[in-house]
Amino acid sequence: MSQLNAEVELKRLRDAIDRVDEVLVKLLNQRAKYAVEIGEIKGHLSLPVYSPEREKEVLQHVEAASEGPLDGASIRRLFERIIDESRRVERESAQIKENA
Amino acid sequence: MVIVMQKHAPDTSIEHVVAELISRGFDVHRSTGSDQTILGVVGHVDTIDPREFELMDGVQEVVRVSEPFKLSSRTWKPDKTIVRARGVEIGGDKVVVMAGPCTIENEEQMFETARRVARSGAKVLRGGAYKPRTSPYAFQGMGVEGLKLLRAAGDETGMATVSEVMEISQIDKMLDYVDILQVGARNMQNFNLLAALGQVRKPILLKRGMSATIQEWLLAAEYIMAGGNYDVILCERGIRTFETYTRNTLDISAIPVLNKLSHLPVIGDPSHAVGRRDKVMPLARAVVAAGGDGLLIEVHHDPEKAVCDGPQSLYPDQFTRLMDELRIIVPAVGRSI
Repeated sequence: MSQLNAEVELKRLRDAIDRVDEVLVKLLNQRAKYAVEIGEIKGHLSLPVYSPEREKEVLQHVEAASEGPLDGASIRRLFERIIDESRRVERESAQIKENA
Repeated sequence: MVIVMQKHAPDTSIEHVVAELISRGFDVHRSTGSDQTILGVVGHVDTIDPREFELMDGVQEVVRVSEPFKLSSRTWKPDKTIVRARGVEIGGDKVVVMAGPCTIENEEQMFETARRVARSGAKVLRGGAYKPRTSPYAFQGMGVEGLKLLRAAGDETGMATVSEVMEISQIDKMLDYVDILQVGARNMQNFNLLAALGQVRKPILLKRGMSATIQEWLLAAEYIMAGGNYDVILCERGIRTFETYTRNTLDISAIPVLNKLSHLPVIGDPSHAVGRRDKVMPLARAVVAAGGDGLLIEVHHDPEKAVCDGPQSLYPDQFTRLMDELRIIVPAVGRSI
């Protein structure tokens, strides 16, 4: 690969990552909206924000769904952060509702 | 705050800790490693007693990342605090020397000593009117009559005054005569006194307790500052160590440590630390060289006749020599005197 071609290819791949990231952000926000709705329903049913059993299910589900190259542990670590943030969003929206 | 779980801690233990944190309103960042889980805790963690979590099943260690002191920390206020007392700035460019007798004994002693130290360059006059003596049979101080002499001698020589307050009931009458209220080492954790001084609008000179860690010392300052009095001067006066040759060990290292952790001015009191006149001068030089904002030095016009701490009081001529030496040292550390 010539120097010029390599640089063009690098730019193409970086653009591709940017597009994937845009889709990821959209999907993560979609996921967060569901989490808020779930939080509201939990409040209705007087269920706690933190449900370890459900978190375990989610992690097992995504680990199983991964076809690589990210292995199960990688996927788990990434989703732990996603779950941490969902929990925070759920808690905050519940608090806003409480204070309203 | 970070909670490190034991290796292979069962899920139930981890979940229990997470549930407890969430129920207290904290956000948890969980990070699962190959055999160990770490929980990052986000929120107002200074309200947590780490021991509560250390004792929970499966917890290996709880590590505080942020400092428990706030108002006194550099994080809260990055710029150095300059405390002002009757025109004297402590914590500014100039190194401030406070000097005078341990105890106010009589008019001649107070005025004679004041004139000598003022002539040599002291800016603040010290003198004890209420003395926390180790023995109840030792001289306990002149009280208000002593404070009047201190004020008069300070006024005549153009110096601000500093004197020790031992209990809340003394605060009001001291305010009439004293520009800086000193809290002694023995009272550093007298939290009622500290809280009362938080309501005062005059600077407080807070000595380090003889067995106090730097953190405990800053938390004591926090008590005063929490009341709205931000003019706190920290004074290192020696800590208890195994060494018996000197009465206490002057912790010079506390000065650069505090200069990094806190914005409050830091001064040193070598007289009480060593308890011997011949060691006061080298340690005074060290305090200034290490970045101290000032010194508190005991000087007596006639130390042999002093009723209290005579052996650690400098002769006026020695004090003059010390001031001359300090004038050579301060430019080397970017200060003036």
